[in-house]
Order: sequence, then structure tokens, then C-alpha cells
Amino acid sequence: MLKTFLIGIKDLRLAFRDRAALIFMLAAPFALTLGLGLVTGRFSGNSSTGITDIPVVIVNLDNQQLGNALEDLFSSKDLAELVEPVSRSSPEAARQSVDKDEAATAIIIPEGFTQSIIPSQDAFAPGSPQPEVVQIEVYANPSRPTSSGIIKSIVDEFMSQVEEGSVSGQTSILQLMLSGRITPQQAQQAGVEMSQRLEAAPTNNTLAITLNTTTANGEAVKFDVLAFLAPGMALMFLMYTVSYGGRSILAEKSQGTLPRLLVSPTSSTQILGGKVFGIFLTGAAQMLILIGASTLFFQLKWGDTFGIIVLVLAAVFGATGWGMLITAFARTPAQVGSIGTSIMLIFGILGGSFISLEQMPPAIQAISKITPNAWALDGFTTLGLGGTLADLSAPIMALLTMGSILFLISVVLFGKNNLVQK
Amino acid sequence: MKKIFAIAWKDVIVRFASSSELIFFIILPIVFTLLLAGGTPSGDTDNRIRLVVVDQANTSISQEIIAELEKSTAVRPDLLTLEKAESEFDSRRATVVLVIPAGLDLNAIQNGSAQLDMRQQPNNLNASVAQRAVQTAIRRVSSAVNAANKAVEDAKAKSPFASAEAETAYFDEALKLAKSIQEDTPVRVTVVEGNTPEDKVEYEPRANQSAGQLITWVFIPLFGISAVFAYERQQGTLRRILTTPTSKATFLLGTISGEVMMALIQMSLLILFGIFALGLNWGREPFALFILLSSAALAAGAIGTTMGTFIKTEGQASGLSIMMGMVMSLMGGCWYPLELFPPVVQNIVKILPTTWAMQGMLDLILRNGGLVQILPEAGVLLGFAAIFFSIGVMRFRYE
Repeated sequence: MLKTFLIGIKDLRLAFRDRAALIFMLAAPFALTLGLGLVTGRFSGNSSTGITDIPVVIVNLDNQQLGNALEDLFSSKDLAELVEPVSRSSPEAARQSVDKDEAATAIIIPEGFTQSIIPSQDAFAPGSPQPEVVQIEVYANPSRPTSSGIIKSIVDEFMSQVEEGSVSGQTSILQLMLSGRITPQQAQQAGVEMSQRLEAAPTNNTLAITLNTTTANGEAVKFDVLAFLAPGMALMFLMYTVSYGGRSILAEKSQGTLPRLLVSPTSSTQILGGKVFGIFLTGAAQMLILIGASTLFFQLKWGDTFGIIVLVLAAVFGATGWGMLITAFARTPAQVGSIGTSIMLIFGILGGSFISLEQMPPAIQAISKITPNAWALDGFTTLGLGGTLADLSAPIMALLTMGSILFLISVVLFGKNNLVQK
Repeated sequence: MKKIFAIAWKDVIVRFASSSELIFFIILPIVFTLLLAGGTPSGDTDNRIRLVVVDQANTSISQEIIAELEKSTAVRPDLLTLEKAESEFDSRRATVVLVIPAGLDLNAIQNGSAQLDMRQQPNNLNASVAQRAVQTAIRRVSSAVNAANKAVEDAKAKSPFASAEAETAYFDEALKLAKSIQEDTPVRVTVVEGNTPEDKVEYEPRANQSAGQLITWVFIPLFGISAVFAYERQQGTLRRILTTPTSKATFLLGTISGEVMMALIQMSLLILFGIFALGLNWGREPFALFILLSSAALAAGAIGTTMGTFIKTEGQASGLSIMMGMVMSLMGGCWYPLELFPPVVQNIVKILPTTWAMQGMLDLILRNGGLVQILPEAGVLLGFAAIFFSIGVMRFRYE
């Protein structure tokens, strides 16, 4: 037992003395977490969505109630953080701003837009032509699809509010007329009154159906976006660490230190156990250092401490299983290095470190279950949302099972390859 | 010239001595492009945000809400049972869940007790967009009821109804009328995709991923020039070159041109993959694309050269080149669109070559740009190349 422990500690020391390995183990995940924190606005205290100040160009050629109301909406306090509106007088200049990528969207409100929805008094005179349909143009920047989509949804919502008033007024007047309660002449007067009401208050913010919105695990929990990103990066580079450990087994064999160990009164089980223990210790130390550093430097709250420790140990166990399997299949340390780095990157993307798994096709979501990254990331997110160890049974069980199965396969393969034999 | 070619050819042989190099040269870039593009809907598929809907009411009103959501340009309703929806939400496979509770009907709207429950994942942009879309849909459904109610009130103000039945009949008629007016309401908002006339550029969301992964996986090996220098220095071959009539400039030119040529071949393969596997229109302006890719490769190669003069061992160099490549790609908008970054960060990242390379690629594939449009980006990239080559050549030592 002591020998196994000593071999493990020796490997841990060697790993943390290797500057090149430290780049992958600590510097890279830390730098990428820092980068992700910057690009998501985590360090600049932006809104929860991360997207702010969408540049919008508004051309209000209507200059009447509805055109002005839409322009005012984009300058309102509610949207102050989300959009950065600029007014222009020329539609062509607005479109050019979008084409030059200076703006995400141009909203062009044509002349006569208000009149097309709120008819003037003359329009109610018998024989007057129906007002022509005038459309607002949303000129979208194809390289900013998210921002354009948000602006379009705001314009759509505004239009639905406008339509509500218009439909209500028309229904009331027509129904009164159809039921014989008013004459066509009185309907004309009622139409004028409806137009006046719409002019005074073109939009109606109240909804007849209440929409109750809640965030996962309740409103009280404020989820830190970095609590999802930082574990994603740490877990990705954990895969490098476990393959680095596996590489050391083959390196010791080729350098002759492994045979030397075998001539000492140390069993092959103790040696292999020590190497595996070393990989496990290095992985756990890497994860705990990254967690500690991000807590210290980014004020990141990872959640329940006990849950974090157990989850880290389970994740490292699952990942170590993969490290051993790679080692069992590879023939040279260089092969472990290149396969390990490839698997690190592929597991990173499959496990949700780069792109949220919910956006992936169902087949990829199913495949992701073979990665320790996906299970552990699930657990870290649960903890970030206020969960405790009791909520982690599924990821922890999955990681332990994964590690155990992979260890068994690796031991069989090691035996076949006579890797650690006297 | 012969020496330059010989040095370049030697680097090709050294680099591809192990077949595992192919993993990084072509296999991983393709896997990443496929996986990331798989997470991005193509132009042909429904790219609206998936909104999980649980219809416990199963009334005409709930069906109207779902029908309105179907018409939405922002969300795509997906009907599930409550159990399945909760399971997807809890495992974060659903961003947003809308529950239409039992009892949501006309009466509930009329007496003001109608409510819908919406659960959304925190910090999720899609959830915020979906919320607006749901509000728009329920407004359209409830506005017909509101209009009918208002019509009844207006009628009562003129003359009271003879009986409750007459009032109900009046309401029903008004509701029918309101719905018919709604149906006839013309479309008042039109969306035009900027600068992408149909016959020239078809908007394809996966273009972003193709361009981003191409830049990422070409910048990483070009930064790896530093590892070539470190390897040669460790092996002592650089010292041996000192004994031959080969100048520093010839050696550097040979090494860098070899790596840049390999990068251009790699980029060509990835471009072909984008054209044939993803159906992207990369071949629209081949000359402009060549200029942009060459400029990007030169910039990355120059940074790799400078890195090579600072780094001592091959292990450190390969670690740093992957780390720098990934960080620069992330910050340059190669993984996530720049529009999602805070405005201050959008400006700061202009100091990175990856940002300019990515913008040039998007100019070509999304903004209908040609040679003239990508010249500023190519110019900046060549500027990076000039600065870093100068530093690299000045600092380069054989030992």
C-alpha cells in the first residue's frame, strides 16, 4: 500500500514539475475560462443574456403616432441595455450601415404607415378607398442572426399590440352596425372616435392571459454563467492530464525505469496501482487548483463544497479510466500523446465544453454520455444552480460505473500486452 | 531557391513522419466542423428556437395558442407530455418549456384568471427570445376575446341586452367577427436579409462554423512553427546549418514557406469539405478567398516564428501553440459570433489576427463581398505578418 502511495506521489510531483504539461493542465483551461468570461460579459456585469447594446438604425419616414411610438419603444428604459438605437433620415444610408456591419438591423418605417392602420377622418366617408397596406422593413444583417432575431421579435410584439387595438375597435363598430344598434352614419362617427383613441394610445401593454415565467430552480437562484463554462474547460483539460499520466507508464517502459522497478521487491499490481493512483492524484489536484483559482480570481461560486469534492473525485475516476484505456491501446508515449490530445478535444466538444448539448442533434446528445465531461458538467451545473450532493446521484453513479468498466477492460489489455510483467 | 524548397520539403517529411499528424491536419478539423455545424441548423431546415409545449388544457384556446406559435418566426413549438418536458428541462435538453394548464378556456380569459406557466433555463438568450414570441402569440389569441368583450360592453352602453342568452349570442358573433378581422389583417412587417440577393449568396448559418473551424485549425499548426524551431534547436540541427552556406533568411524562408504551403493545402481541403459536405458557397470569389487565406496564413506563420524565438522546448511550444490558437480563435469570433460579445470586448479583440480573418471570411460568404471588400482585412493580416516576421527574424538565433 505504501509503495503504491509512494509511486503515486512521485508521479504527481513529476507532473507538476513539467512546465510543458502545466501549460495544458493549468494555463490553458484558465486562459480559456478567462476568455469565455470576457466574451460572455461575465466580467463586465452585463445582463443575464450576455448580449447588449445591439446597434439598430431606425428610419422614421412616417413621423406620426405609430412610427413615433415604435421609435420611442427602442429608446425606452426597458430596452436601454439591450439596444443602441440611432436615427437616420435615409433608408439607403441605414441599409449601408447594415451592409458595412456597423449595425445589426435597420428598421425602416415608411411614410403613411400610421395612416394605413389608423385611418384619417376622411377615410370614414362613404366611398372612400381602403387604406393601402404599408409594411415596415426590417433590414437584417446576415452575420448577426441572433441580434436581428431579437429586433424582429420586438417589432413583431409592437405590431401585435397595435393590431389588438385596431381589431378591437373594428369589431365593436361592425358588430354594433350588424346588430342594428347604430346606423352606417353613426358607424362613421364611431370610426373617427376609434381613430382618436388609437392615436392617443396606439399600443396596449396588458395581456388578457398572464404569462408566469420562472427560471430553473426558482427565481431566487442567480446562476453564474461562468459556473457552466469554467467546469467545461477544466474537464476538457482533465482528459489531457489522464492521458499524460498514461504516457508516463509507456515512457518509463521505454526509458528502462519500469523494468528497474520490477526487479525491486514490488509487485506489478503495486506498480500499476501506483501509476493509476498518480494519475488520479494529478487529475484531482488539477481540478481542485482550477476550482480554487477561479473561486479566488473570478469570485466564482461553484456551489455545495462537499458535493464539489465528491463530484471532482468521481469525474477524475471516470476520466482516469479513459486514460488507462488509451494507454492500453497505444504502443508508444507519442501515440498516447496524440490520441490523448485528440480525445481531449473531441470529448470537450461532445461533452458540452464548447457548445451547449441541448443545441446538438439527439444522436450526438446520446453519444455524449460516453464522455466523463458530459456527466460531470451536468453535476457541476446542478451544483451551480444551488443543488447539493443528494442531487448528484445520477452523474456520480455514471462516472463511477464508467471508470470501473474502463479499468477492467484496461487491466485485461495490460495483461495481454504484458505491459507490467516481471 | 533550391535550398528554400529543400528546407520546406524536409519540414513536410518531418511533420508527416507520424500518421497521427493527419488527425490534427484534417480529421479533427472535419470532426469539429461537423459537430459544431450539426449544432447549427442549415439554411434548409427549420432554424427557429425549439419551444417545448405541454398542453394540459386541450381546449380550442390552447390549440389556437399552439397554432399561433406555429406561425411564429422565432419559435417552433414541440408538443410533449408534462413528464417528458420536465425530464428534458431538468437535464437541460430543453431551453424553455411552456405549460398550458388545465382549465385555460374562453371563460378563464373572460374572467381574467387565464394563466400560462413558462420555465426557462437561466442565462439563456433563446429563452428570452422565446418569451417574446409566446407573448406575441397569446396576445393574438386573447385579443380576439378582448375585442368581443369590448364589443359587448359598447353594445350594452347603447342599449341593454334583453337576456343573458342574447348577450352570449352577441359575444359569440363578435368573437367570430374579431377572428375573421384578425385573419384578414395584412402582414405589416417584412424582413430583408441584408446584401444577400438570392442569386448571389444564400444565407447559411453553418457558414460561421465552417469559417471559424478553418481558422482555428490552421492557426494552431502555424503557431506550431515555434515547435519546429524548438525541435531543431534541441536536436542540434540548427547548429549544423551554421556550418553550411545557408543564411538565416534562407532557413527562415524555407521553414515558413513550407508551413504556409501546408496550411494552404489544409485550408483548401477544408474549403472543399465546406462546399461538398455542407453545401456552402465558398467558391463564389476564389481569388479573393485565396488572397484572404494566404494573408491569414502568413500572419499566423509570422506569430509562430516570433513564438519560436521565445520558447525553449518542443513540449512547451506545442502546448502554447494549441492554447494560443484556441484562445485567439475563441476571442476572434471563430467559435461564437462576435455579436454575442459585449461591445467593449468586440473592440478589444480587433487586436487579434483571428478577428480580421474571420471578418474577411464572413464578408465573402455572408455579406456578398469580393476582393475590394476583403482588402482591409487582408491588409491588416499582412500588417500582422510584417510586424511579427520582423520581430522573429531579429530575435532568431541558431542556438
